[in-house]
Amino acid sequence: MVHNKTRRINHGYLFVAPFIIGFLLFGLYPVYNTLSLSFTDTTLMKADASFIGLKNFDRLFHDKTFVTAITNTWELWIMNFIPQIGIAMLLAVWFTDVRLKIKAGGIWRMLFYMPNLLMPAAIAALYFSLFSYYGPVNQFMVRSGFIPEAIDFLRNKEITRAIVVFIQWWMWYGQTTILLMAAMTSISISLYEAAVIDGAGSLKMFRYITLPLIKPVLIYVLVTSLVGGMQMFDIPMLLTDGRGSPANAILTNNIMMYMRFRSSQGHIGAASTIGVMVFIMTTFVALLIFYLLREKHDDFSGKKI
Amino acid sequence: MIKNYRLSTNILRFFIYLFLIVLLIVTLLPVWLLLVNATRSTLEIQQGISLLPSQYTLSNYKILLSRGLDLPRGFVNSLTIAVATTIITVYFSMLTAYGIVGYEFKGKKYLYNFILVLVMIPMQLSIIGFYQYMSRFGLTDNYLSLILPSVASAGAVFFFKQYLESIMIQDLIDAGRIDGASELGIFHRIMFPIAAPGAFTLGIFTFVAAWNNFFNAYILITSRQKYTLPMLVQTLRGDVYRHEYGAIYLGLAASVIPIIIIYFLFSRYIVNGISMGAVKE
Repeated sequence: MVHNKTRRINHGYLFVAPFIIGFLLFGLYPVYNTLSLSFTDTTLMKADASFIGLKNFDRLFHDKTFVTAITNTWELWIMNFIPQIGIAMLLAVWFTDVRLKIKAGGIWRMLFYMPNLLMPAAIAALYFSLFSYYGPVNQFMVRSGFIPEAIDFLRNKEITRAIVVFIQWWMWYGQTTILLMAAMTSISISLYEAAVIDGAGSLKMFRYITLPLIKPVLIYVLVTSLVGGMQMFDIPMLLTDGRGSPANAILTNNIMMYMRFRSSQGHIGAASTIGVMVFIMTTFVALLIFYLLREKHDDFSGKKI
Repeated sequence: MIKNYRLSTNILRFFIYLFLIVLLIVTLLPVWLLLVNATRSTLEIQQGISLLPSQYTLSNYKILLSRGLDLPRGFVNSLTIAVATTIITVYFSMLTAYGIVGYEFKGKKYLYNFILVLVMIPMQLSIIGFYQYMSRFGLTDNYLSLILPSVASAGAVFFFKQYLESIMIQDLIDAGRIDGASELGIFHRIMFPIAAPGAFTLGIFTFVAAWNNFFNAYILITSRQKYTLPMLVQTLRGDVYRHEYGAIYLGLAASVIPIIIIYFLFSRYIVNGISMGAVKE
């Protein structure tokens, strides 16, 4: 029996071994390699590279473009996240409300979710076509008299940013709705019944029952959206010329990293530095959110529903 | 009092439906325009908006071909990568999750917590180091560099860990052991069939993500005949296709239609699968 048990213990290791080996080879080592590249002046064009300490980081911190990229990425993410969570919350409350009885909830949310699965590269190219000078949006606006003459949307900084924010919102609000709905439907109805007997209105019920109990899912949505948002690439890259135009309005972290990587010399040392900085920033903020909100969550609803 | 209450609920309901309809139009109209414009000639597109399809799909396709856009090859390339990634992700992630759920071993808790952290950490940002590392083995411009990392997909392991815990039947596994099946045999012949619905759900998500993946392919793949669909889509922005709107729309439509079909076939699995990793029972 004891022998049998040890044998099975070893099997546990065997089952997880491919994951661990795969992680070391394709997960951890590239991180280490990126980190060590960031201290060198490696390029794709010459064979030798030398250790230059923190020079890449120093140069990056003094680079105004990097500040722009970081600010842009944060702004584009926050501007899409707020309406995303807002609309998703509204929809989730409506769809799960027993009194409202919204019909065909499943079909609505299935259609709302669809943009999320479509290829972001194709979506960006699609919006480029829709908003181009001779595109359908201009055709419609001019012909129906909303604007006197066509606007070059994608040469205007603010409008281009607004389009990126809109696309991100458009792709993600459906998924957030589904997640929030799943969290809300798992709340026991008896809690609301008790609240009604105590004379609570729907706003109070939302504030004191729904909100605290969906908190874990809200954290999940917040953190995954943040991690994804910090890596925003396909949409801003393919909406304009691939360099964050006009005037760096939609230049994000990853676009800047890519531009260093594909520069004429192929500065992979400098590109790695951007990767490392964004990696540290994202991980730090994600773990911070996770930690802060998790602690509070344990205070008032430690039990499972 | 009750009548009043009912009236206000009905008014509220009216505005909610109105809102939902507007939202639905905003959500679907861009995709609909894409599909319709793929069937219209460039001239028609320039003349105005239409919500009804036309009949220039074939001539648009010929324009694409004449400009050197090899859509079928891109399709095969993307399919190859997506299928291989899906099989590897599903198999190895379930194997790992089964090791965690089905066995006791030292450091298991640490491993699981570690995987939880990995799910949150953006591994894509180490792509430059990954590129340089792959180039040392001559694996850049090779699909292996896109496919192999899926052996260790933390998110998929997390999903299967939750899933296997909810469907695990210990008695069946013990029965298999008594019958003398090997531990790996039990995984293949008992666990895998039971977990097939979960494997299918995760498989769809993995497939879609691999199909849509642009960034990694754009960094790792360089030769033209190995381009995946998103990379071909990116070339549609070039000057060669200037003013060939019908052809551009067709190229874009071709890359999203397979996913739309998959979605309408399996939306039940997909919609239920989204919350499976996030909402604990």
